[in-house]
Amino acid sequence: MASTAATRTAAAASRVVKPILSRDLDEAKRRVRELYRAWYREVPNTVAMFQLDISIRQGRNKVREMFDKNKHVTDPRVIDMLVIKGKMELQETIHVWKQKTHIMRYFHESEEPRSADFLSKFYKGHDP
Amino acid sequence: MAASLVRLVRGGLGRSFNVLNRSVSVIQQQSRLQSSDVKPTVRPKDAVAHNHLVAFGEYVAEMMPKYIQQVQVTCYNELEVMIHPDGVIPVLTFLRDHTNGQFRNLIDLTAVDIPTRQNRFEIVYNLLSLRYNSRIRVKTYTDELTPVDSAVSVHKAANWYEREVWDMFGIFFANHPDLRRILTDYGFEGHPFRKDFPLSGYVEVRYDDELKRVVAEPVELAQEFRKFDLNTPWEVFPAYREPKEAPPTLEAGDTSTEKK
Amino acid sequence: MLRLPVVSRGLFPAVVTKGGAAATNNARTAATAAAATDLIEVFVDGKPVAVEPGTTVLQACEKAGMQIPRFCYHERLSVAGNCRMCLVEIEKVPKPVAACAMPVMKGWNILTNSDKTRKAREGVMEFLLANHPLDCPICDQGGECDLQDQSMQFGSDRSRFTEGKRAVEDKNIGPLIKTIMTRCIQCTRCVRFASEIAGVEDLGTTGRGNDLQIGTYVEKMFMSELSGNVIDICPVGALTSKPYAFTARPWETRKTETIDVLDAVGSNIVVSTRGGEVMRILPRINEDINEEWISDKTRFAYDGLKRQRLTQPMVKSESGQLVPTTWEDALTRVAGALQGAEGNDVAAVVGGLVDAEALISLKDLLNRLNSENLCTEEGFPMAGAGSDLRSSYLLNTGIAGIEEADLLLLVGTNPRYEAPLVNARIRKSWLHNELQVALVGKEVDLSYTYDHLGESPKVLQDIASGNHPFCQVLAKAKHPVVVVGSSCLQREDGAAIMAAVSTIAQNARVSSGVEENWKVLNVLHRVASQVAALDLGFKPGVETLRKNPPKVLFLLGADAGCITRQDLPKDSVIIYQGHHGDAGAPVADIILPGAAYTEKCSTYVNTEGRSQQTRVAVTPPGMAREDWKIIRAISELAGVPLPYDTLDEVRHRMAEVSPNLVRYDDVEEANYFKQANELSKAVNQAVLTELLVPPHLTIKDFFMTDPISRASQTMAKCVKAVKEGAQAVDEPAIC
Repeated sequence: MASTAATRTAAAASRVVKPILSRDLDEAKRRVRELYRAWYREVPNTVAMFQLDISIRQGRNKVREMFDKNKHVTDPRVIDMLVIKGKMELQETIHVWKQKTHIMRYFHESEEPRSADFLSKFYKGHDP
Repeated sequence: MAASLVRLVRGGLGRSFNVLNRSVSVIQQQSRLQSSDVKPTVRPKDAVAHNHLVAFGEYVAEMMPKYIQQVQVTCYNELEVMIHPDGVIPVLTFLRDHTNGQFRNLIDLTAVDIPTRQNRFEIVYNLLSLRYNSRIRVKTYTDELTPVDSAVSVHKAANWYEREVWDMFGIFFANHPDLRRILTDYGFEGHPFRKDFPLSGYVEVRYDDELKRVVAEPVELAQEFRKFDLNTPWEVFPAYREPKEAPPTLEAGDTSTEKK
Repeated sequence: MLRLPVVSRGLFPAVVTKGGAAATNNARTAATAAAATDLIEVFVDGKPVAVEPGTTVLQACEKAGMQIPRFCYHERLSVAGNCRMCLVEIEKVPKPVAACAMPVMKGWNILTNSDKTRKAREGVMEFLLANHPLDCPICDQGGECDLQDQSMQFGSDRSRFTEGKRAVEDKNIGPLIKTIMTRCIQCTRCVRFASEIAGVEDLGTTGRGNDLQIGTYVEKMFMSELSGNVIDICPVGALTSKPYAFTARPWETRKTETIDVLDAVGSNIVVSTRGGEVMRILPRINEDINEEWISDKTRFAYDGLKRQRLTQPMVKSESGQLVPTTWEDALTRVAGALQGAEGNDVAAVVGGLVDAEALISLKDLLNRLNSENLCTEEGFPMAGAGSDLRSSYLLNTGIAGIEEADLLLLVGTNPRYEAPLVNARIRKSWLHNELQVALVGKEVDLSYTYDHLGESPKVLQDIASGNHPFCQVLAKAKHPVVVVGSSCLQREDGAAIMAAVSTIAQNARVSSGVEENWKVLNVLHRVASQVAALDLGFKPGVETLRKNPPKVLFLLGADAGCITRQDLPKDSVIIYQGHHGDAGAPVADIILPGAAYTEKCSTYVNTEGRSQQTRVAVTPPGMAREDWKIIRAISELAGVPLPYDTLDEVRHRMAEVSPNLVRYDDVEEANYFKQANELSKAVNQAVLTELLVPPHLTIKDFFMTDPISRASQTMAKCVKAVKEGAQAVDEPAIC
């Protein structure tokens, strides 16, 4: 979504767009930092509240990983949209609307990495 | 539907067109009784109701020229008002509070995703006036990143509808008191009613016995989709399959292109 | 018979359309240039169109892009004009005319959508429906029925009908075609197909008017190798497929466009699947190969794909029983056996259904193990030119090229059962182009007349040396074609026969004075893999293996039983890889389950040298895998990994060895007959006195020729019905 929206915005660069929250990139970045801080502070609570089998460091690393995943985004509106979604996630976590399973989905524990070499693909199935 | 849409535009041209339409409709009314026997499946035209709607639509368009881009009546006698996204609050307020309208009930609020359009989402407000037993439909548009003003300040009923539209389409409503997900599971990613969202979704869930909890994994379909191929494999008559009529050309004065 | 809307078809069946030989094209362009001056102009709904004189109204409308509804008219059959559905109004002509039978006149304005035309169609449709039962919900044609479609488009929306409908007794015409004769609208397409295309006068009409019935006159089978095609051409549900009855609806099946490999013709087919199961097989139009027909084996042997399948790897235990095992275990054992043997102690034999991808990977694997022992089950004389010159083992003229020939000499072959669609082409040419046919070999019923020259191979030498009366006929021919069956080349004296045939062909070429690119000599193969195997450098025949028995024998789909355990040393290991438990699997020590032709994307080269691809319609059953992948996996375990992991890489490798294999749907021309003939003169072999008898003499030999059709119950029923009569396999009718 982010990328298509970004290209569309670039195409209509001359047009004045309606901001979501932030008027410029600096403001958007400030919001990201605020959100990151909020998540960073919340991690110990979350680990305790949900009785997760991870350390606080692991949790914070995951938070950082999730933020880093979108670090290429430069459009303030896309950043705002991501921040809004991030805030909603945070809200769901703080209020314990989520359950353990939802939190642990970030960690992809049960997924097996797909094998790449010919033989293991051959043993696994018809269509590797 | 496009064929039978009566398109109206604010201004003099629309009115003169309307007069013409009225004289035609008298003839239609006369022939209605005979034709209804011959073609029971064809919906009879109700010219009186139609003219009421046309007149009201024109009136609304005249009152709020800044926001209303187009007014049309569908073949099923439904009045539709196309507005600019900035005009959601004023237009809905006007329709609610105007003595001749009193559309106080927000019956439904939803969106339509048309990816080919520049503003891919169409937001639809269906209103009901209990006072006049009349309905009106307000339509506006937006894209993935442009926020639309929340209608909650006008209609309390919009609260959950807007949450649903946010959840299903990812349209952000500015100034909504409590915008959060309403239908999808916590942690769900994507907006399922967007046309580019795959039918099968991205993840599937199962209970994992080792981890003792439900886990989500990338979807892997064990059974193939049921796909129906309705074209006959034998003889084809392409000449007869093509649409019979071309879409009707726009009439003079009907400059619906201003929507862009 | 899937028709694309934009398929450009020959409008004039009499004028044969085909690609290929440029010479005839020249002749034709000259003819059309002459004809261009006297084109006549007619109007279709006011739109002018120029057509040749003698064109029918229907063809003119088609040329103008307007389709006329029809039932009895079929492009490849003669015009009957008895359904009347194609009635159209012509301006200033008092009555509507039947478009399929009426030649156009200059200046006619054909009105295809006037009130009169529509009323005529509606009236005809009402008459047709008067006697047609309204059982569409239980009719197998439902969803692909011309009557259904056209009554929706052109029929009335209500019925005025109160009388009773006519009922007709169903006929039992064999285990393949189900008849519900009450549904018949007497278009006589099936009768015309049987007498014109199939060449059997089995079907006909009895009675007149309301009592007209289609039938076989007496209780008998519709005995033709092309009989299944009447199911396709029947516009209603009167003739439907018996094995397919009540199994699926056309809209719920998924169609895969692929090719057939049960004979060497490579007919284009559409495989209909539902839920990972093959439901039926239909023909696909390819004017160069099968037109729109397929043989009964192609169409009905698909139930063999579900039976007798090898679904998991097996190894022979100490007690001599084959026990299922895992891929890891089976492949490790194979790799161990291959590593234990040295060089030419490893050998491979490939069968008739193997694709080119598997062939190239097997060849690469054995070459990496320093073995050159790669053989095909089908033999081919290696003396003389052998398989070095591509033109000496192809059907060089091409299947469509037969229509240009004026004299055809068949040697030791029965094309009717070895390649039914080639035979249909010969019959077409014999019927329309006055092709003269002669045969050396056992006298068989080919569905057309021919001069029988004798059964002994001595006759060939007489013709070659010019001492036979037939030589005068041959000398007069303008476009002679000689077709030699692959079976007679597998005899002891195959090289001598090939040499004689080569000389006959060369003499005929010289005497006819035909253009340089006309090809006379043709070989008609019987199995789908042979041409690709010879292209890739496999040795034809297993004689070398009999002389030098290998320690490890790899059978890749080899089910003809050419080589048995008795031919090998006691401690030898036999590995069988294939998809059916037929002749090869029981003798093997290790069995590796492969994929059948509907389950893999692979390359086959037909007898013309035309490479075509099959497509994946269903996934292989159980643990079966695509053949080249199995060989690739073995190579890795055996320590000589092949350098390709994907299908594209395999095909790249194929292109390195033989580029024509990846030029799909294209015939690679080969023309080295003179050189081949000179090389064949060096052959010093005497012909035997044994008579030339092709392996398939009557229709009962036709149905079961390969592992798939041998596993098919439908084919078994056909054989039984041929032997004992259609009643023997009759099942109680459900409907």
